[in-house]
Amino acid sequence: MHPLARYLLTRLGIGVVLAFGITLVTFTLANLVPGDPVQAALGEQASANPAIVQQFREDMGLDKPLPVQYVTYLGNLLQGDFGVSVQTRTPVALELQRAFPATAELATAAILLSILVGIGLGLMAALRRGKTVDHVIRLVSLLGISAPTFWLALVAYYVVFYQLRLLPGSGRLSPGAVPPPNVTGFYTIDSVLAGQWATFGDALSHLILPGTVLALSTIGLLTRFARSSVLDVLSLDYVRAARAKGLPSSAVTLRYVLRGALVPIITVLGIAFGSLLSGAVLTEKVFAWHGIGEYAYNGATRLDLPAVMGVGLVVGITYILINLAVDVLYGFLDPRVRRA
Amino acid sequence: MTAVENTRSRPRRFALPKALRSPLGVIGASIIAVWVVAAVLAPWIAPADPLAQSFPRLQEPGGTNILGTDAVGRDILSRVIHGARISLPLALLVVVSSMILGTVLGAIAGYFGKVLDEVIMRVADLVFAFPTIILALVIAAALGPSLTNAFIAMLVVSWPGYARVARSLVMVARQNEYVVAGRLLGASALTSLWRDVLPNVISPVLVLATLNVGAAILELSGLSFLGLGAVPPLADWGAMVSDGVHQFSSWWIALFPGLAILTVVVAFNLVGDSLRDSLDPTMAKAVNGGKR
Amino acid sequence: MRHHFLGRAVTAGVAALALLALAGCAPAGDQPDKKEGASLVVDMSFDVKTLDPGRSFERTGTLVNHVLYETLLTFNGDDVSKPVDGLASYVLSDEDKVMTLTMKDGGAFSDGSPITVDDAVFSLQRVQGIAGNPSFLLDGVTIAKTSDTTLTLTSETPNPTLAYLLPNPSLGIINSKLLTENGGSVDSDDASESFLNGTSAGSGPYILESYDATSQIVLAANPEYRGDQPAYSRIVVRNVIGETQKLNVQAGESQVAIDLNPDQVAELSADELNIKSAPSRYTIYMMLNQDPSISTITSNPDFSTAVKSALDYDKILALAGKGAERPGGVVPSMFVGTLPTERGNQFDLAAAKESLKASGYAGEEVVLHYANDVTVSGIALQPLAETVQSQLKDVGINVTLAAAPEATELDNYRAGKEEMGIWSWGADYPDPQNYIAFAPGENLGKRAGWLAGDAERVERLRAAAQAASFDDRGAAYEELQVALNEDGPFIALFQPVGNIVTAKSITGFTSNSVWTIDLASIE
Repeated sequence: MHPLARYLLTRLGIGVVLAFGITLVTFTLANLVPGDPVQAALGEQASANPAIVQQFREDMGLDKPLPVQYVTYLGNLLQGDFGVSVQTRTPVALELQRAFPATAELATAAILLSILVGIGLGLMAALRRGKTVDHVIRLVSLLGISAPTFWLALVAYYVVFYQLRLLPGSGRLSPGAVPPPNVTGFYTIDSVLAGQWATFGDALSHLILPGTVLALSTIGLLTRFARSSVLDVLSLDYVRAARAKGLPSSAVTLRYVLRGALVPIITVLGIAFGSLLSGAVLTEKVFAWHGIGEYAYNGATRLDLPAVMGVGLVVGITYILINLAVDVLYGFLDPRVRRA
Repeated sequence: MTAVENTRSRPRRFALPKALRSPLGVIGASIIAVWVVAAVLAPWIAPADPLAQSFPRLQEPGGTNILGTDAVGRDILSRVIHGARISLPLALLVVVSSMILGTVLGAIAGYFGKVLDEVIMRVADLVFAFPTIILALVIAAALGPSLTNAFIAMLVVSWPGYARVARSLVMVARQNEYVVAGRLLGASALTSLWRDVLPNVISPVLVLATLNVGAAILELSGLSFLGLGAVPPLADWGAMVSDGVHQFSSWWIALFPGLAILTVVVAFNLVGDSLRDSLDPTMAKAVNGGKR
Repeated sequence: MRHHFLGRAVTAGVAALALLALAGCAPAGDQPDKKEGASLVVDMSFDVKTLDPGRSFERTGTLVNHVLYETLLTFNGDDVSKPVDGLASYVLSDEDKVMTLTMKDGGAFSDGSPITVDDAVFSLQRVQGIAGNPSFLLDGVTIAKTSDTTLTLTSETPNPTLAYLLPNPSLGIINSKLLTENGGSVDSDDASESFLNGTSAGSGPYILESYDATSQIVLAANPEYRGDQPAYSRIVVRNVIGETQKLNVQAGESQVAIDLNPDQVAELSADELNIKSAPSRYTIYMMLNQDPSISTITSNPDFSTAVKSALDYDKILALAGKGAERPGGVVPSMFVGTLPTERGNQFDLAAAKESLKASGYAGEEVVLHYANDVTVSGIALQPLAETVQSQLKDVGINVTLAAAPEATELDNYRAGKEEMGIWSWGADYPDPQNYIAFAPGENLGKRAGWLAGDAERVERLRAAAQAASFDDRGAAYEELQVALNEDGPFIALFQPVGNIVTAKSITGFTSNSVWTIDLASIE
C-alpha cells in the first residue's frame, strides 16, 4: 500500500474509533446529570399523574436499563435520529440543523480571519525579529491569547455597538430580514448564490463583530506559532543557501520560508479550531448568535439530556473531522509522510 | 523530593534562574508577585469588605469607591482584590493536580507500555477529542455549580496534556543506559521509574504546567462566567464579569475584573514563555505537544 | 533591509483586510429591510417551551398564543376586572356551578373553515385530557355540548372565577378537524404538539409563520380574521436578554422591549421612547421550610419570626427599582384583597435578635436556594439572594447561597426539599383565589412542608375567604394574609413593576397581567 494511503487510512480508523468513544462519553455524562428529566419536561401538573409519567418514560425509552438505552441511542444515531429535546419536544437533529450552520459560519469566518492575520503578523514579526514591529506584534498576540473571550465580547459589544454604533450587535441578520434560500446554511454564501446583495451585506455586517472577537485569541495563537515556525525555517540550511545564492528576499520568503513554515502551522489549526468552539460557547450569548454554543449552554443548564448529547456529539465529531482534515493536509504537505 | 536530590549525576534541568533573566520573564514574575501579595494581604489592603453591601448601588468609578460599586452596593475594588484569593489558588490547584495525575498516568503508560499504555492513552485521546470548555461545561453542569465541581471538571479535561508529554519523555528516558543498568542492578520497576526516569520528565512538565496556568485561569473564569463555577456572593472574577452582563451600561462592573484576569494571564504566559525558551529545543517541542 | 518589500506587502494585506471589514459595515447603517415597513420587532426573554395552547403556560407562549387563538371569553384591553364576550357569550347559574356559553356566528379559522361548538368542546376537553401545565384551570369542570350553538361548563363546587379563567390563551379554541388530522385528540394519545409548533390552528388576528424556541417567533397577519386587521402585517418576537433589549430599542433595532427592569428604564430618555409601567402580576417571596426532617432550624417558629423581622424590606424593595411595590402580603396590589404595606411584616432588628435568641439558633448554616437563569420582570434573583444573605448575617444568621438553573431548582422545590428559597408567583388569573396556593396543604404550602392541619387559624380564615360573598372577599383575604404572615412559612418581599418600552413610532397598545401585551393592538 502506498504510504500516504496507509497514513490516511490509519487516521480515518482512529477518527472512527474516537467518534464511537464520543458517543459513549456524551451518553455517560448526560446520564450523570442529577434531577429528573421527566419532571422538568412534563411540568408539575402532568408529572403528578403516574400514568402520564409512565407513558412519557416509555416514549422516551427512559424505563429501560442504561446499556439498552445506549444501544438504542447508537442505532438511532446511525439513522440520523438524535432524540427529542426534553425541553422543547423538538427533534434534536432539527434544532442542531438550525444552530450548527450559525456557529459554522461564525467559526469559518473567524478561522479565515485568524489565518490571514495570524500568519501575516507572524511572518512580519519573524522577518523583523528584534525590531519594534516584532515587539509590538508579540505583545498584541500575547494579549490576544491572554484576554478572556467572554470579556472581550462584552467590551467589543459595548464599544463598537453601543457607543460607536458602528456595527449591528446581535443576531445573524437585521430583525425581520428574511434569510436567503437555504443551500449551505451560511447566510453570506447563500445570499450571494441567490444574488441578494443587500442580504449579503447585512449578513456580513452582523458577522464582523462576533467573528473578530472570536478570532482574536486564535490570531494570537497563530501569530506566535507562525513566528516561531518561520524563525525555525529561516535558520535552516537550504534557506540560508538560497539567500546566499543571491535570490531576492521576497522570493526566498514566499518559496522557501512560507512553505516550510506552513506544515507546522497547519498542525496548530486543529487546536485553533477547538479554541474557537470554546469561545463560541462563551460569546454566542452576548451576541444573541443562536448557534451551537448557546444551544450547548442552554441544554446543559436545563438538564436537556438529548440536547447535551447531541451537542457533545456534533462538536466532538466536527472536531475529529477538522483534525482529520489537518492530518490529511499535513500528509500531503510533509514530504516525510508523503514518501516515507 | 529527597529521592531526586540524592541521585548522583542524573540530569536535572531546572532552568528557573536563567529563565528569570529575560526581561519579559521578570515583568511577568513581578506582576504575579503583585497579585500574590494582593491576594495574601487582601483583608488589610482592600478598602472595604468585599461582601458588605454598604454603599449606594451602581456608583460610577471615581467617588468614594475608586472602581465603583455593583448592583447591590459592594465595592468593586475590594472585590477585585479579593478575587485574587479565589482565582489564583484554584488555578494553581488545578494545574498542580492535573500535572501530578497526568504525569503519573503518562509515566506509567510510557514505562510499562502494552495494555496500560493503550487504555490510558485512548482515554486521553477521547478527552482531546473535545474542545476543553465543551467537556468541562458538560461535566460541571452534570455535577452542579460549585468551585469544587469546576475543579473536578478542569482536572478531567487537563490531565491528558501532561500524560502525553510525560509518556513521550519517559519512553525516551527508559532507553538510557543508566536506567537499564539500574534495572539490572535489581531496582524494582517502580523504584526505577521514580528514581531514574522521572527526573528527566520533571522540568519540561513543570514548564508545561506554568504555561497552562494562564489557560486554567481563563477556563475557570469562563465556567464561573457561565454560572457553573463560583457560587455567589463569592468575589470571583469570572462571576463578576457575568454580573456585568446584566448591568451592561454600568460598564465598570465587568471591565475591572476582566482586566484583572487579563493581567494575571499575561503574566503567567510571560513567565511560561521564558521558561520554555530556556529549555533545549527537543524538550520545548515535547512541551508544545501537551498544549491544546 | 532585505525584508522590507515583504513586510510592506503583509502590511498592505492586513490593511486591505481591515478595509474589507469596514466595507462590510456600510450596509449596517441603511437597514436593508426598511422597505417592508409593516414588520414589527418585539424583544423579550423567552421562556417558551411549546406553542401548543393546551400545553403552554409560560409567558412567551401566552403572549404569542393570545394573537394566534381566540378564546370563548376575553378581557377588554387593559381591564382584567371584568371578562367580556369572545367567541361566545356566557350566563352563570345554579349557584355559580353551571356556565352556559353561546357561540357567536360568523367566526372562521385561518384555513377558512367555520368555528363551531364542537371545536370549543374539543379544545377545552383536550386541555384536560392531555394534562399539560394549564390543565388545572379546568380542574373539576365538566364540559358538555348542549346544542349546535351552546356548551356548558359544570363545576363540582361554586366556581365564580371560571369566567376569569376562560380568557387565558391556554384555553384558546383550536380547529379540531385540522388538529385531528394531525394527530390531535382529547386524551393522552394526543400527538399534535409538534404540528402546533409549526402551524397555528386558530382564528386569531395572526398566524404562525415560524417558531424557534431559542431565537425567534415570526407571526403574519391572518387574512381570514373577522375583526379589524392589525396595524402590522408581520411581527418578529425575538429572544433577547434585558440588557440587550435596552440597547436594541435605543438603537431602533426593535420597536418593543418587554423585560426591562427599572434600572435599565431609568437610563432611557422619555423623549426618545415611550415607557409604560404598570404593577406586574408577580409576587417575589421567600420560603422557610417547615418540615423538621428537611430543617430543624427553619421549621422552628421563633426562627421564622426572627427572619421576618430581620429583613430590611425597604432596602430589598430598592433593589427592585422605581415603581416596584410592597403589598403587605402575597396578593399583588391591583387585586381585591391586597394587604396594605403597613399591615405586612416590618423590619425590627431588636425583635429579630430576641426571636432568634428564643429559637436557640447557634450559628448553623442555612441554605437559601434560588434560580440563577431567570428574571422576573427583568429582575434577577441573585442580587436579591445576596442582599437577604447579608441582612440575615447582621442578626447573626449564617446563610449559604445555592444557585441552580430553574429546571433543576424547581424540581427540588416541588419535591419540598429546599431549606429556604426565593421564588416568584404569578397570578394565573386576576383573582386572590390564586393565592390560596400559599395555604397549608396546598400547592406551595406542600413545597414548604406546611401540611393540612399544621395551622388551624390560617385554615379557618382560608375557608372563610373562599366562602365569602363578593363584597366581603377583600376583607376576608386581608385577614387570611395577616395570619399567613404571622404563622406561615412565606415572606412576601415585593411586587416588581412591569415595564414596556416602545419606540416613538408606536402610538398605542394594550397590555394586561394575563398576556403581558396584546400584539395585535400595537399600532
